[in-house]
Amino acid sequence: MNPKEEKMKIITEEFLENEEDAPVEGLKSSKLPRQKRKKQPPTGGPGEMVSGKAQDDIQEEPVKQEPETQLLSMKAGRGPRNLPPIPASSRTSFAEFSMRERMREKLQAARSKAESALLQEIPTPRPRRLRSPSEKELETEFGVEPSKEALRTQQEDGSQSYSRVKHHEFIRKIKTKPLVPPGFPSAEDAYNFFTFNFDPDPEESEEKPKATAADKDTQEEEAGEEEEPPMQEGVNKTDEEELLSGKDAEEFLVGLDQTAADFVDVRPADYESVHVRMQREKEILFIPSRFTVPTYKKLPENVQPRFPEDEGLYIGERPEVSRTNQNIVENRLLTQEPERGWFGDDGRILALPNPIKPFPSRPPILKQEQAVHVELEMLYKKAVNYVTCSQHMIGAGEAPGIFQLDIDISGLIFTHHPCFSREHVLASKLAQLYDQYLARRQRNKAKFLNDKLQALRNAVQTGLHPEQPHRSLDTTQKAIHEYKAEIRQTRKLRDAEQEKDRTLLKTIIKVWKEMKSLREFQRFTNTPLKLVLRKEKVDQKADDDAYEAEIQVEVSELLEEHLEDYEQKMEEYRMAYQHWKAWRKAQRAKKKKKKQAVVEHPDEESEEPCPEAEPCPGEEPVKPVPPELTEQAVIEQQVRERAAQCRRRSGEPVLVPELSLAGSITPNDQCPSIVFLLVFVGVPFSFEADGSNQLILMTSGKVSNSVAWAVGEHGVPLSPPLSQQIIGFRSALKRADAISSIGTSGLTDMKKLAKWAAESKLDPNDPNNSPLMQLISVATSGEAYVPDFFRLEQLQQEFNFVSDEELNRSKRFRLLHLRNQEVPEFRNYKQIPVYDREIQEKVFQDYEKRLRDRNVIETKDHIDAHRAVVAKYLQQVRESVINRFQIAKHHFLLSDLIIEEEVPNISILGLSLFKLAEQKRPLRPRRKGRKKVTAQNLSDGDIKLLVNIIRAYDIPVRKPTASKFHQQSRSSRTFSEKCAASPAPHSPTHGVDYPLGQVLVRPFVEVSFQRTICHTTTAEGPNPSWNEELELPFRAPNGDYSMTSLQSVKDDVFIHVFDEILYDVLEDDRERQSGIHTRIERHWLGCVKIPFSTIYFQARIDGTFKIDMPPVLLGYSKERNTMIERGFDSARSLSEGSYITLFITIEPQLAPGETIREKFDSQEDEKLLQATEKFQAECALKFPNRRCLPTVIDISGKTVFITRYLKSLNPPQELLDVYPNSPQATAELVACYVSLIPFLPDAVSFAGVCDLWSTSDQFLDLLAGDEEEHAVLLCNYFLFLGKKVWLMMGNAIPEGPTVYVLTWEQNHYLIWNPSSGHFYAQYDTFCPLKSVGCLIGPDNIWFNIQRYDSPLRMNFDVTKPKLWKSFFSRNLPYPGLSSVQPEELIYQRTDKAAAAELQDRIEKILKEKIMEWRPRHLTRWNRYCTSTLRHFLPVLERSQGDDVEDSHRAELLKQLGDYRFSGFPLHMPYSEMKPLIEAVYSTGVHNIDVPNVEFALAVYIHPYPKNVLSVWIYVASLIRNR
Amino acid sequence: MAEVHVIGQILGATGFSESSLFCKWGIHTGAAWKLLSGLREGQTQVDTPQVGDMAYWSHPIDLHFATKGLQGWPRLHLQVWSQDSFGRCQLAGYGFCHVPSSPGTHQLDCPTWRPLGSWREQLARAFVGGGPQLLHGDTIYSGADRYRLHTTAGGTVHLQLGLLLRHFDRYGVEC
Repeated sequence: MNPKEEKMKIITEEFLENEEDAPVEGLKSSKLPRQKRKKQPPTGGPGEMVSGKAQDDIQEEPVKQEPETQLLSMKAGRGPRNLPPIPASSRTSFAEFSMRERMREKLQAARSKAESALLQEIPTPRPRRLRSPSEKELETEFGVEPSKEALRTQQEDGSQSYSRVKHHEFIRKIKTKPLVPPGFPSAEDAYNFFTFNFDPDPEESEEKPKATAADKDTQEEEAGEEEEPPMQEGVNKTDEEELLSGKDAEEFLVGLDQTAADFVDVRPADYESVHVRMQREKEILFIPSRFTVPTYKKLPENVQPRFPEDEGLYIGERPEVSRTNQNIVENRLLTQEPERGWFGDDGRILALPNPIKPFPSRPPILKQEQAVHVELEMLYKKAVNYVTCSQHMIGAGEAPGIFQLDIDISGLIFTHHPCFSREHVLASKLAQLYDQYLARRQRNKAKFLNDKLQALRNAVQTGLHPEQPHRSLDTTQKAIHEYKAEIRQTRKLRDAEQEKDRTLLKTIIKVWKEMKSLREFQRFTNTPLKLVLRKEKVDQKADDDAYEAEIQVEVSELLEEHLEDYEQKMEEYRMAYQHWKAWRKAQRAKKKKKKQAVVEHPDEESEEPCPEAEPCPGEEPVKPVPPELTEQAVIEQQVRERAAQCRRRSGEPVLVPELSLAGSITPNDQCPSIVFLLVFVGVPFSFEADGSNQLILMTSGKVSNSVAWAVGEHGVPLSPPLSQQIIGFRSALKRADAISSIGTSGLTDMKKLAKWAAESKLDPNDPNNSPLMQLISVATSGEAYVPDFFRLEQLQQEFNFVSDEELNRSKRFRLLHLRNQEVPEFRNYKQIPVYDREIQEKVFQDYEKRLRDRNVIETKDHIDAHRAVVAKYLQQVRESVINRFQIAKHHFLLSDLIIEEEVPNISILGLSLFKLAEQKRPLRPRRKGRKKVTAQNLSDGDIKLLVNIIRAYDIPVRKPTASKFHQQSRSSRTFSEKCAASPAPHSPTHGVDYPLGQVLVRPFVEVSFQRTICHTTTAEGPNPSWNEELELPFRAPNGDYSMTSLQSVKDDVFIHVFDEILYDVLEDDRERQSGIHTRIERHWLGCVKIPFSTIYFQARIDGTFKIDMPPVLLGYSKERNTMIERGFDSARSLSEGSYITLFITIEPQLAPGETIREKFDSQEDEKLLQATEKFQAECALKFPNRRCLPTVIDISGKTVFITRYLKSLNPPQELLDVYPNSPQATAELVACYVSLIPFLPDAVSFAGVCDLWSTSDQFLDLLAGDEEEHAVLLCNYFLFLGKKVWLMMGNAIPEGPTVYVLTWEQNHYLIWNPSSGHFYAQYDTFCPLKSVGCLIGPDNIWFNIQRYDSPLRMNFDVTKPKLWKSFFSRNLPYPGLSSVQPEELIYQRTDKAAAAELQDRIEKILKEKIMEWRPRHLTRWNRYCTSTLRHFLPVLERSQGDDVEDSHRAELLKQLGDYRFSGFPLHMPYSEMKPLIEAVYSTGVHNIDVPNVEFALAVYIHPYPKNVLSVWIYVASLIRNR
Repeated sequence: MAEVHVIGQILGATGFSESSLFCKWGIHTGAAWKLLSGLREGQTQVDTPQVGDMAYWSHPIDLHFATKGLQGWPRLHLQVWSQDSFGRCQLAGYGFCHVPSSPGTHQLDCPTWRPLGSWREQLARAFVGGGPQLLHGDTIYSGADRYRLHTTAGGTVHLQLGLLLRHFDRYGVEC
């Protein structure tokens, strides 16, 4: 027992306790260690360490104190730091409580300190011991103190100034509060003290411990120093009572500032040298050595160590402990407890065996996991370099991975086995040898080499005796040389092979002999092997010869070789010999010199041969030996020897060994003994009796097996995809890989695939490509069968809901689909029913019928077969053109989609400002432009047609009926006449004849459009003014308001002028006073027809139009009496007709369709096309509104230069024959003929797609066309007639952009309207052509660059370059363009019978129609009148409606005296039935509902050549006069 | 005989580094599908976002399909292109997504990708524009050859599709 150590332990324990307590429980809890310490001295006894320590503590305090406190502070530092914030955080009761506690203690401490301060002037710690009975308490205080100090120093800086302020304040307070009784302050006091006077609580709470710390400082070190204010403050706080009780305290406080220096004590930093410390530590501490302890120390005296392991006892493996640790422990044990038996007999520390198992004893859980999720197992794969390779396998239906390789092991043949007997060994050896022999024989290399040798020899032979002398000697030599070398080589090889063969045969025989002998020896046979040597007899003679010849050849060859060799060697020899000779000579010469030089030394001469070599011993050449020529006999000998060795001797039979298993095995019972001689594996044994030639055999054998891919259920081989290598190679070729070159989806496209196959030149015989080839061949041959594995969507059929047929049968789907395709019948079909059953089958009837009838020409509607064909053709052209431009229509420009309001600029603003000053109701109001609306969101009723009828001129007036009529029936006087007459003061009773004041006509206007009818009020007189606006609704076909649909509206607007006549039908004159009974009749006077398409494209139509009047208007005449002629004389005299001023527009204004912005291909010269573009651009730049069209599109959709259309063409001969002497009349007739060809605007037929120009023959064939075609034909006819003529492009009313024809007569220009046949003088005000853009002649184009474009104000002299810009000029001369027109027009005479038949049919149809239109009335036909009219119509045709009226009327009067007649003939070209019906309907003849009315209707068709028909319809109503 | 009506819009795209984007789109269906009405493919306008990152197209999609089977459900493939200041167009991303199979409105986000090309091509793309594009557009949705490609991420195209299904229940397909 070491008392010293014991002490040590205890002390450290105490320290530990102290450390633990101090921080946690603070000062208060320091009682426990104190008690312990009190107890300690008796238990501990007066040990050195304790006493030492105590002394250190007490006596050597100034020295010892520092390290101790430092030590403590280090550990305690952590604890107290946590303390102060607790009261600071909140004013909880606990915080208050602990605060008070501490306060109390601090007060106590402060009091004692103050006392000691009073008692003692020197501030040493020693008095503390005197004063305080308990050292422990002080010690604990020390423990706490430094931590607080540390804390204070932390916060000092921040709080210093603040606390100073507080300090003064505080002093004041103390001074004013002297009356507080001594003793401990009450809790409230303390609380108030800390809370009330200081604003921030946290500061205060932190300050307090600081203060206590500070005052302890003062206790110990007289608390001078720099931190005066806080310290004093602390003093103030803590020493409250003392200060109050003792006045000196007050002095102390107040006088603090002055005496600061007295408290300061400068000390050096405490330092204990390392050396000293080490010294002392050495005294205290024991450090066990690390060095190995000698064994004798560990063992008892005189005991030798013994090692149980060596004695064979089991010793477990000791646990691993590092050597150093072991040493330390041993040293320690030796020192500490040497008496205890720590060490074993071997001198090592006793130890149990290592308890740690090298492997885990825990059962593996792996198995459990496996059992649960086998499929979730994962396999780690190393990262490998990615090799791009194609893994595509065409038609890999099977999932990859289920491959199956079948290996069939059929047998195992041992070549050696432990159970083998000697005979077995031999047998297997024999079998092996035989196999070898068979293999060799199959290859027969010897024979091959032999043949080769023969061939080479032949080659050499031919080479030596060349048959082709031109061959250069050099090459032959060389070749022969090479051949010879090869012969040599081959011969050697052959010899070797032959030798091998022979030795093999020998060995076989030898083994067989051995085996036989063995069998004999052991007297039984246990292998079935049997070798039969078959001898093949050979022809002795031939064999001998061959053998001999072979040897001879070989010998000669060898001789040759040797000769060559000899030659070479001889050459070398000669060279060497020369060399040697020369050297020898030189040597001799030297020797001679030497001789002369050393005559005196004769003794040296004897040694001559020797010293000869002396001067240059290395260089002396040996005298060459001449080579010997080998003897032929020797060579032959050699050859023969070798042949004998390796070749079958001549005459010797060919031996063919045959091994069979035919040998019989000795049965067991016949075996001499049961003991087999077994050959052990790996043990040497010998067949020889003397044991030589030992063999060591190992078990070996052969496994024979077969390998194949298994076959799946469906006969599909379960093999992996084709070899990666091959595919990789193919994909590297890129083109060869189908998928990479045409994409996966391309695989379904047979054509693509076939194309690719052709391009990449697949080898059709390559088995790899066979499926592909087969597929392609199947696909291209058109067979329906497609192999399953090429379908991308497998199992499609199995999963189909319905079959294709059923899907196609669905009416709803079909309807939707057709609507989407914009099939005309369904284009605007709305609200397709949801259920199939709601869709009626007849919806499709029209469509299906149309599909069916596409190629069937329907003659029902057309009556005329030719026109039916034409209509069909036109329909087809139309369809093809529309299809052609369907795509082009979908190309939109930005302006098509976006309507952008212009940003107002200064000019617009200015204009709007001007508008403010405008008149509100101008005297002459003008129409303003309106915003255009794209026809998109429109529906029925949105669009209205506004027709503003302003006035009319020169309406025909009623002709006074013959007086006898009038006088005969009073009641038939017109009411209006009466009415009009009555107000007139000087009107006679029968004012009919009275020329003045008579109401000549009471016209009103009726506008009909789409069978909607509106009419104006009735005006009076021949020049009425209505100024009325009529509004007609517009309904688009099928409710489709798209642009294309609107463009193709074929409806016309009819503006009819009627005369309203009132008839007094009052029967009794007596009632005349009480009532009026009149009947209104209206008489058709004329009409204006304007196609809707014109209105649509023009947006507005404004102007004065000529009213289309029948040539004969019974009962009316154009009076030219002087009464109504005023200032219009000059203008009216020229025109013969009535005019009406109209304004028509659509509300809202619709944006017209765009023309196609597409370039058409052309056969024109590129230069010409460029010139046209340039010309057009220049023209458009100067006059953007003037039309210029250098190129047009022909019916096949190609761009054609316009002058190519103009060519002199012959009109029908009949027309020329009519007026052979009057060119003017002929011209009119021709114009009339042209106008009889029906008018069909392109814009309507091609739905605004474009303007197609057909040539004249096409036009005549089609019998339909618009202005261009008419104009071109007329122009061509005029050219034929020898007129000077131009096509004139411009704008007309109401057509809009159109083409007229201009002719130069003798001294004036005439403007012809080709579609009507009328002509106008240049200065005719009522000429419908309002502006002229350009003139086109057969060889040039002239653009109007005059200031005005109205024909009235223009000069048509195209030779003036200032007025007309010509296309072909000096810069670009006319290249002489060929015409697109035919050479000549051929006219067929129209069949008159057919015309007559058509005439009858039309008449019949019209009559039926009229009856149909009068459903409530009886329609009677006056046959007499009809026949009269029928006779009259041809006259009209002949005279073109001129000057027949009077005679006609007279005739009518004569025949129909009793009837009041109203009627008129209509004249029109014939295209089809519908326009005729429409025209008759629009006259309103049928509207008469007088009960006794009768009708008359006559039709006359005048046939012109080329099936042009002029149709006259005379329709009249008759009312019998009573 | 079942019908599918796809009504919706291509809202726009986010996350593309390029501005001025437009989108070419198309719908690919299997052989069992028949388009009754509507356009199978189209192209949006070029949108240059003024505020924010998202290019808005709001391009309407309205298709009406009839089908006799479920195979080859409509797939939407998108190509986002960007137009630079010279009016040149270059590829910004390929995208693909299936048309949803449940009725109702769906918000789809279709991430896009584009081929990366060699470093030379990347450099060229960065400076002079252009860049590698797929030769065969069907690679976008077929995916058979995709493993050869090195691609980089484009942005996301946002779609809003509403689906009306009809008569699927007749054939045992619940939706």
